[in-house]
Amino acid sequence: MRDRTLKYLLVAPAVLVVGATAVWPLAESLRLSLYAGRLSRPDFPQAFVGSSHYAWAFTEEPAFWNSVAVTAAFTVITVVLTTLFALAFALLLAPGGKFRSGVQSLLILPFAMSPALIGVSFRFMFNPEFGLFDAMFTGILPAAASINWLADPGAAFWVVVVADVWGWIPFLTLVLIGGLASVPRETLEAAQVDGASGWRVFRDVTLPQLLPVLAVVIILKAIFSLKTFDLVFMLTNGGPGNATQTLSHYVYFNGFKYAEFGYASAVAWLMVIPMMVLTYFYARFVFDRK
Amino acid sequence: MNARTRKRVLAVLQNVAILLFIATMLVPIVWIALAAFKQHVDVYQLKLVFTPTLDNFSRVFAAPYFLGDKLINSTIVATITVLIAIPIATGAAYAFSRFRLRGQTLLLVIILATQFVPAVVIVLPFFLMFRDLGLLDTRTGLVIVNLAIVMPFAVWMIKGFIDGIPIDTEEAALVDGSSRLQVIRNIVLPMAAPGLVTAGIFCFIIAWNEFLFALILTSKNAVTLPIGLALFKAEEGDLWNLMAAAGIIIMVPMFVLALIIRRHFVQGMTMGAVR
Repeated sequence: MRDRTLKYLLVAPAVLVVGATAVWPLAESLRLSLYAGRLSRPDFPQAFVGSSHYAWAFTEEPAFWNSVAVTAAFTVITVVLTTLFALAFALLLAPGGKFRSGVQSLLILPFAMSPALIGVSFRFMFNPEFGLFDAMFTGILPAAASINWLADPGAAFWVVVVADVWGWIPFLTLVLIGGLASVPRETLEAAQVDGASGWRVFRDVTLPQLLPVLAVVIILKAIFSLKTFDLVFMLTNGGPGNATQTLSHYVYFNGFKYAEFGYASAVAWLMVIPMMVLTYFYARFVFDRK
Repeated sequence: MNARTRKRVLAVLQNVAILLFIATMLVPIVWIALAAFKQHVDVYQLKLVFTPTLDNFSRVFAAPYFLGDKLINSTIVATITVLIAIPIATGAAYAFSRFRLRGQTLLLVIILATQFVPAVVIVLPFFLMFRDLGLLDTRTGLVIVNLAIVMPFAVWMIKGFIDGIPIDTEEAALVDGSSRLQVIRNIVLPMAAPGLVTAGIFCFIIAWNEFLFALILTSKNAVTLPIGLALFKAEEGDLWNLMAAAGIIIMVPMFVLALIIRRHFVQGMTMGAVR
């Protein structure tokens, strides 16, 4: 067979699968978002309603804006915290050696844990009666021990943040260690010989070299934070009230609890837009490195 | 304090910080592991010393939880997803790596971008389609949607591995009269094999931990392990020791797999943006 034909035959199945499992659902969600779609009624989907679901979300739904605010705050806070902690740990672990690379291996473990399971374990640890944190706070900070973590709206939000940051630190740390390994050793040594302080070496040599990797990590984490569902579902199920309801969870609730498929599709599509912007920047980094 | 002592103190401080860090990272895992072997009465106390029991494990596999069924579902769904995804992805990855295709960059960007589509967007149309086709609550349905999340990773990851194989041997074989398909079978596949296994393991972990699709698209027969966790949220309160035992069954196999592919983990997750 000629290469000219073969190369398209080789690509075709993958393109077909991606088209059918990702591109088609995207298009179909967009179409559904323009129809009144009550799943409970047999004549689904019902009348064409144009953009009124979108208008409804923007003007009539405080719950939508609540989930936008929760998702935005959650994304900004988790991206910042995870990146800062991961950077610190990466700098600590980067020099290598037996001890440090052993620790790096262990870091894989939290990341292989499913977010749903992380949710479960944090719910367990933050249990107000017999959780680990309760016991810790009773000893260290008695005032905090009386907090019913998952029943208080403010506290519950921070529990979700802590659980998410905990779950993502290992991955970001490992990526940043990879990035640090590509900073040329000679440049670092030259700077040290010149008598630059540790902080100066970091700011003037390491950080600029690390910026592309740091950017990739931040975009990637932002994408995953925006999508957060599993963790929230198992940890707080969006509550108390809707204090921890992320956009994914809001779509899930409207689509599958209230059976408002048209409206859920519209909100789902509103999620796609920031995702596309982030993906654009991510793709630029991926292709720039080629 | 002279320079040498300062350096030594700094090294000790660093090691202490590293130990504290890794301990924090392992606490929730250890916590689950301890609870899984505790008797019901001990779960509600912060005991580190207790009489271990395997009771929880036998209970989760028995009625009414039947975690064994979920284990079988998870294993079958993840395995078949990988067995379909890896050959298809390998073909595409080879073509992307060795040929110039029309619209190549666009195709690669689309494949990259699909990874970032929220699962909740994908699941809405599939729910309707599966309802019409009778695929709700089937393993077949789960495999189909899992391909959506696994495929982009697989293509990009395997492309990275094939990019790393020198092209000379292939060209020599082609000059000697081998056909392209022979070259792929006899030269490329053996050399790419470790990469294919790595990508396969990687996709297996993703499919195994997948939550949202299984939550929405299964109800009874095709329920997978992560959804099985919700079985232990009982009216009288969460059955923590059983949940922990189920957690162990979910996470320990993934720990083993993750350690096997540890060296390629970062490259896989970032689709080659970071090596």
